[in-house]
Amino acid sequence: MGAGSFRVIVGEALTGIRRNGLMSVVSSTTVAVSLFVLAVFLLVGLNVDHMARVIESGLEVRLYLAEDLEPVDVEVLKIQVAALDGVTDVTYVSAEEALETLRQQLGEDAELLEGVEEMNPLSDSLRVSTKGPAWVDAVAASAGRLPGVADVGYTHDLAQRLLKLTTSVRVGGLVLVGLMVLATILVISNTVRLTILARGEEVYIMKLVGATNWLIRWPFLFEGLFFGLAGALLASLAAWQAYYWAVNGIYTTISFIPVLPVYPLAWRLGLVLLALGATIGALGSSISLRRFLRV
Amino acid sequence: MIEFYEVSKTYLNGVTALRDVTITIAKGEFVFVVGLSGAGKSTLARLVYREELPTKGYVFVNGVNLARLKPRAVPYLRRNIGVVFQDFKLLPRKTAYENVAFALRVTGASPREIARRVPACLELVGLGGKGDAYPDELSGGEQQRTALARAIANHPLVLVADEPTGNLDPTTSWDIVRLLLEVNQRGTTVLMATHAKHIVDAVRRRVITLDKGLVVSDKLRGGYGDGGERAWAQGLSASLSARP
Repeated sequence: MGAGSFRVIVGEALTGIRRNGLMSVVSSTTVAVSLFVLAVFLLVGLNVDHMARVIESGLEVRLYLAEDLEPVDVEVLKIQVAALDGVTDVTYVSAEEALETLRQQLGEDAELLEGVEEMNPLSDSLRVSTKGPAWVDAVAASAGRLPGVADVGYTHDLAQRLLKLTTSVRVGGLVLVGLMVLATILVISNTVRLTILARGEEVYIMKLVGATNWLIRWPFLFEGLFFGLAGALLASLAAWQAYYWAVNGIYTTISFIPVLPVYPLAWRLGLVLLALGATIGALGSSISLRRFLRV
Repeated sequence: MIEFYEVSKTYLNGVTALRDVTITIAKGEFVFVVGLSGAGKSTLARLVYREELPTKGYVFVNGVNLARLKPRAVPYLRRNIGVVFQDFKLLPRKTAYENVAFALRVTGASPREIARRVPACLELVGLGGKGDAYPDELSGGEQQRTALARAIANHPLVLVADEPTGNLDPTTSWDIVRLLLEVNQRGTTVLMATHAKHIVDAVRRRVITLDKGLVVSDKLRGGYGDGGERAWAQGLSASLSARP
């Protein structure tokens, strides 16, 4: 392709966008709306995944230590536990700290503990964080066999139920997002197809005066790219603003719900939407064009 | 310039538009193709600029067998063939000037050449001052002149006009025919499909008459009805022989 054809192609694309007025606005708006809906689904999905992760990381294994351990033995044990498969973190919690935590948890009922403080019934322990619910059983079993561990505390049922819940939430979210991507692709490519359908006669005339397929295809491809990008830009801005408000709202009212921070999520989402819009726009138009080029 | 050898064309829907058509049109000729609606005039025209390929037989344009032409070579063939239609087929979002310029731009002509050639073509068809008008701002006759200017912009070897006067009043029709004759004077071979009897009878050029896809007469200085009786006879025999 020479410089001359390139000039022709870009000129044709720009003229097409300008003189196609209403159709251009309709296409870009359709792209924007569908991508925005997709963005909402993605944001909700990512946040649900994030919540699941936060909940899962709260699931831990407690190793209650034997009474007679020396500080050195505790250190050795910590290293041994940390080396186990699936363990992400090991923290030593003394009996005193455990009691203090208990008192805080009881709050107003802390007076129940009066009298026991002199002879602490709790024992020293190791708090073990795992990679997730799937690892809890294995970690508990192997850690329980280590010398110096008197008892293992964890809730098997809770781990399994949580695992089931987060797995199904993730699979469901993925399926939903997948369907949304498909729907978005269909809606956008159909819109592009309609704009081209309306111009089938135009393509026919171009062919009759001897335009090569590429000379016809490129301007349409650029137009599709333009609609895709324009729509994606609108959708990105809208999604960014909407998410910004949503996150601020959650922070100020129900702050205990863990949400992903606005940045860098907004930038990444914007890039994904732009890439998607541009690809679907350009591909959609050149694929729809094919049937007209067979003249 | 244009050669048909035993060309038959049957469309996918089973309609046979041409049967065993053999004609030769020399360089520089002006030929009318006449016949009733459905006689095969448009199909004959479409075979010349290769919108259709023959089901049987061979079509040669400027010595090239169109059936052997690769799809990617078709655009280059069409740059040597100007086409004019009954419904003008102008690009609606382009001005008259841009419509003519487009035909030159696709050939890779330089902007300087386009700036020189387009006004000349518009001038030739008598549209000197209307270049900036969009097709819907032009009268039927003016639109057809624009289409004609576009068709001749590339100095085509062949000009195919399929019912170019079908949507025009008699006076305007004559303007278009006069222009076609002028284009022919300058050396372009012109093939005009029509059923405008008064034009064919007055111009007295070669007339090929089609009836139900058959060539029923081919006269050098003919009139519209010249093939009438033979056409009837051949049509009858064709329909008889078609019976089992």
